[in-house]
Amino acid sequence: MMLHIKNGIVIDPKNKVIKEKMDIFVKDGKIVEESEIKKDECKVIDATNKLVVAGGVDMHAHIAGSKINTGRSMRPEEMRPVRSKANKFRATVGRTLLTAPAIGYEYAKMGYTTAFEAAQPPIGALHTHEELDSIPMVDKAALPVFGNWHFVLKYVAEKDLEKLKTFIAWALERTKGYGVKVVNPGGVEAWMYGKNCRNLDDEVPGFNITPREIITSLIKAVEELRLTHCTHIHCNNLGNPGNYQTTIETIKLASGFKNDKRPVLHVTHVQFNAYAGTTWRDAKSGAEEIAKVVNKMDNVTIDMGQPIFGTATAMTGDAPFQFTLHRLLGAKWSNKDSEVEGGAGIVPLVYLPKNPVHALQWAIGLELGLLIDSDKVVITTDYPNGGPFTEYPYIMAMLMSKKMREKELERVSPYVQKATSLPAIDTEKTLEEVIHMTRDLPAKILGLENKGHLGVGADADIAIYDINPLEIDPSNDYELINKAFRRAMYTIKGGEIIVKDGELVKEVWGKTYWVDVRSKVELEAIKADLEDYFKYYSVELQNYGVEERWIRMPERIVL
Amino acid sequence: MEVNVVCTFCGSVCDDGIFDTEKFKTKRLCKLGSSKFSKKERIKSPMIDGKEVSYEEAIAKAAEILVNAKRPLLYGWASTVNEAIRLGIILTEKVRGVYDQCASVCHAPSILAVIEEGLPAGTLGSIKNRADVVVFWGCNPMEAHPRHGMRYSISAKGLLVKDRKERKVIVVDVRETRTARQADLFVQVKPGYDYLVFSALRAIISGNADVVPDEVGGVSKDKLIELADIMKNAKYGAILYGLGLTQSRGRDRNVENAIKLIQLLNRYTRWVILPMRGHYNVTGAGEVPAWECGYQYAIDFSRGYPRFYPNEFSAVEVLKRGDCDAALIIASDPVAHFPKEAVKKLKEIPVIQIDPFPNMTTLVANVVIPSAIYGLEAEGTAYRMDVIPIRVKKIIDTEYWSDEKILEELLKKVEELMG
Amino acid sequence: MLILKPKVDFVVNVEAEITPELATKDLEEIKKFKVYYGKEEVELEKLFEISKQGNEKKIVLEGDFSKVKWIGYKMEDGEIVVKGNVGSHCGACMKGGKIVVEGNADDWLGAEMSGGEIVVKGNAGNLIGCPYHGDTTGMTGGKIVIEGNAGNYIGERMNGGEIEIKGNAGDFIGTEMRNGKIVIHGSCGFVGGDMRGGEILIGGDFEIVPSFKKTEDGYVGDLNVKGEGVVKKLQ
Repeated sequence: MMLHIKNGIVIDPKNKVIKEKMDIFVKDGKIVEESEIKKDECKVIDATNKLVVAGGVDMHAHIAGSKINTGRSMRPEEMRPVRSKANKFRATVGRTLLTAPAIGYEYAKMGYTTAFEAAQPPIGALHTHEELDSIPMVDKAALPVFGNWHFVLKYVAEKDLEKLKTFIAWALERTKGYGVKVVNPGGVEAWMYGKNCRNLDDEVPGFNITPREIITSLIKAVEELRLTHCTHIHCNNLGNPGNYQTTIETIKLASGFKNDKRPVLHVTHVQFNAYAGTTWRDAKSGAEEIAKVVNKMDNVTIDMGQPIFGTATAMTGDAPFQFTLHRLLGAKWSNKDSEVEGGAGIVPLVYLPKNPVHALQWAIGLELGLLIDSDKVVITTDYPNGGPFTEYPYIMAMLMSKKMREKELERVSPYVQKATSLPAIDTEKTLEEVIHMTRDLPAKILGLENKGHLGVGADADIAIYDINPLEIDPSNDYELINKAFRRAMYTIKGGEIIVKDGELVKEVWGKTYWVDVRSKVELEAIKADLEDYFKYYSVELQNYGVEERWIRMPERIVL
Repeated sequence: MEVNVVCTFCGSVCDDGIFDTEKFKTKRLCKLGSSKFSKKERIKSPMIDGKEVSYEEAIAKAAEILVNAKRPLLYGWASTVNEAIRLGIILTEKVRGVYDQCASVCHAPSILAVIEEGLPAGTLGSIKNRADVVVFWGCNPMEAHPRHGMRYSISAKGLLVKDRKERKVIVVDVRETRTARQADLFVQVKPGYDYLVFSALRAIISGNADVVPDEVGGVSKDKLIELADIMKNAKYGAILYGLGLTQSRGRDRNVENAIKLIQLLNRYTRWVILPMRGHYNVTGAGEVPAWECGYQYAIDFSRGYPRFYPNEFSAVEVLKRGDCDAALIIASDPVAHFPKEAVKKLKEIPVIQIDPFPNMTTLVANVVIPSAIYGLEAEGTAYRMDVIPIRVKKIIDTEYWSDEKILEELLKKVEELMG
Repeated sequence: MLILKPKVDFVVNVEAEITPELATKDLEEIKKFKVYYGKEEVELEKLFEISKQGNEKKIVLEGDFSKVKWIGYKMEDGEIVVKGNVGSHCGACMKGGKIVVEGNADDWLGAEMSGGEIVVKGNAGNLIGCPYHGDTTGMTGGKIVIEGNAGNYIGERMNGGEIEIKGNAGDFIGTEMRNGKIVIHGSCGFVGGDMRGGEILIGGDFEIVPSFKKTEDGYVGDLNVKGEGVVKKLQ
């Protein structure tokens, strides 16, 4: 199948193409040189005066696995709104929580073609893959969580970097995972005792180590293994006023590490970790301080974790935080202590514009997006914690238009006027910056060389939007921007047209990437430890993990 | 040859079984589990109205029945694997029928309680490692989940709780069961009064013992205070509950009240609660539809999208209310277990059965499709009672089609007929 | 006024979201009103004999409507009289008007009702005036009267309005109630779990959760949620 996308106005920041009229050629699922196709055998897409970009890359969303499903199961009130009836495609339901088919379809309609599950519980890895394989359209991967895994805590305590590296390699293979995710390191183990680790130097019960040591050791291990994706962290002390300082301390742990292909630390949904003040009564934004630090560092990136007004569901591996939230809101609460690996929690949420705390959170997310260099901040809502990923167009429009922000500021609580710097920020990001923050920047951080750009050799994951980048003025035309990015004119996945004029036309199934770094270690070195400690598991070591053939279309990345 | 085998009987899904392929028997598994691996009478061949036909013919007839029905019921699912269940959902949506699974007569109240309050849980391994107090409420694992205690909850050796001696086992039930006789403390409740007992415990723990009467649900106030004390002073406790709570007076509100008690206890210490699920993949029969269409059981697709109303769309209700004109029964035996009124309806409508073994439902089925035995002849994914995925294995070859293959072909045939 | 009579024996249940508004339309439009009959959307006249007498905003359902669900769903005014039994979700999300059921009603009667009046001459099922699964509020206004007996789950998460049951009721009366009034003339089972406010009056026997404080004329609670709901004997 060959495609010729004609006369589009292309924005491809990785290849330094900014608003150039350019033809794109596709063959066998890849972007190719014009010389490789036969023009008369091509399907032609007329993209005259339309924006042509790579398909979006969502590097952090909670879309597949045990806690996502418990979230659905415990929220029929969220699942009730009907999005589409079954016809050629599956029925889709859900307000901000979505069913697996709905997730795939909504990403596709929005022009997103790659999505990563942000936190995979290792013992539940197969469940995550089953759900990922029920999400159509997108290419995907999962990030297993390491920061409270007893083997990790053990090797950190023993200061055995080699065994830690070996363990990571073993774990990525067993979970068919993509990288090292860290959630409230040490804190979730502390929750097994009803406690938490809010500060980097708090002691992790039972192991005599600190979060600082866990994070530093994991960064070291990941860098020595040269994994495609860097250490990806959900910081300690999430959700508490004053926590911005913990975040800054965590960011600084990246100092001294160097990697020329990608950052060394990615800090996720920083909005939830950017609060100054001491209680919710005097809470303020800590975004400016964090932005200063991130902008100075050359090896750290973040993603926003933007709240969207409306319903949401807090679901993370940060089990102690979730319990705190349940107490604070008096809402229903699910929890899952996961053997010797970690935990998770789920609490329903709502963000109301007139509520001072919610408005503060909303403003902080935007501050981070605006104040931080576009080369270091990715657009996310930490779906579904901040809100639905289907609102990325809202965020894009807001980052590009001060007028739109002023209008929004009129309807939110006046608390943000003195508690944040948002009203004073004049920055209007450009269209190319916002495309960078949703395409090639996340692809680079993840180490996905063939995603997020339109160069020859890239996967033919392409989105065409109904705006003319040469004529549109994002600063004033924010409503057009918000509308256009919700429904792609065309979404092309692996060379197949899957969406046309915002409607699904074909259902395809994507690949599941996982990283195999076993060749860099000697698995034998940890065999005895595994066999010994597995007596504390409730499943046999021989039955632990996911085999490739159980995954629909596994794509093994060998390092 | 001895191979590792994963048990496909109860929700404990013990994965340490050993199967001797020559002797054709298992080691280590309990009696219930090993019965799943013993040679039994099979349905010999696909049949239409008692006549032997090919798989293709039976599937074609089944497709016709489903497509022509106004509201077909597709029920069972708890003893098959996720891959089959997923196809079942897609098929039910296609034929605009009702999907229901065995939980609707079992742990549906748990699902309803989770909707109202959430589920503060842990995996079986976290109970094994940390729980110094385990309360079996309305369940009798010694008989229904025989190896649960030694693997996870009673004599299991854990990281922090080294053995049975370091664990306090409490049984709350309406009579002294085998498990109660093994317990350190047995609290006898008047049948149907667990709901009030939970409210009383909550009142005592939150400092309102003074308003609690001298006796609640057959339990003396002193006993309640003793129990509350043990619970509050546990380092990590677990309530494991069963049909004693879900199928007695109070049902979902019983489980809800238990969850509220757990929420309260987590303010002082750590507690979790887990349902003792019956079938090896009844959990999957609920989790798969949740990600495919948002709900776990009693799902109606007649309007082209999923709707959840358990009072009218659970299998028993749909049959009793005369709201069903065809049924596909897979991996279960409703004729043996459902109330008379519901069984009467099953006898009146065309029924398709997919199962390895003949049972009471086979007697009323118009189309019978024999399938492979998961865990022995076919492999797939199941979820243990704590929603941990475990792969059941294929040990021997067979001519029988797996549920997954049957449903795949059935879906294709249905799509053909519907155009 | 519109009169409907079942024309056939229903093979499966019918879902007919009929409100009195329909009676004001012209006959041709009424005949073509779509109802769900299993997976098929069929026109009203296929399943019911229809006769229209004048333009009064009133619908009379004659016969056995026990297999017909969602009658009166979201209705705002006018009147529906069922001369027989009626199926589930009757009067659900009702905002105004009046429904009279001369026979028995099924589950979810008046679910999430905010106004209007429902009278059932016979018995009613479960989940009367309750919220749908996961919704935080049930009935907020209006009045439901059951002359006969009722099942389990009555007025849970109620925040206004009134439910009166002349006969007996089952378990879970006023669970998590915040406001409103429930009167049961006969006896019932478990009452008041997690009640925060509102009033429940019971004529016969009942079983109150043991976390209420006894007062001179009744009980106040549920203390488990620091509630100030009142449960007392009906004088």
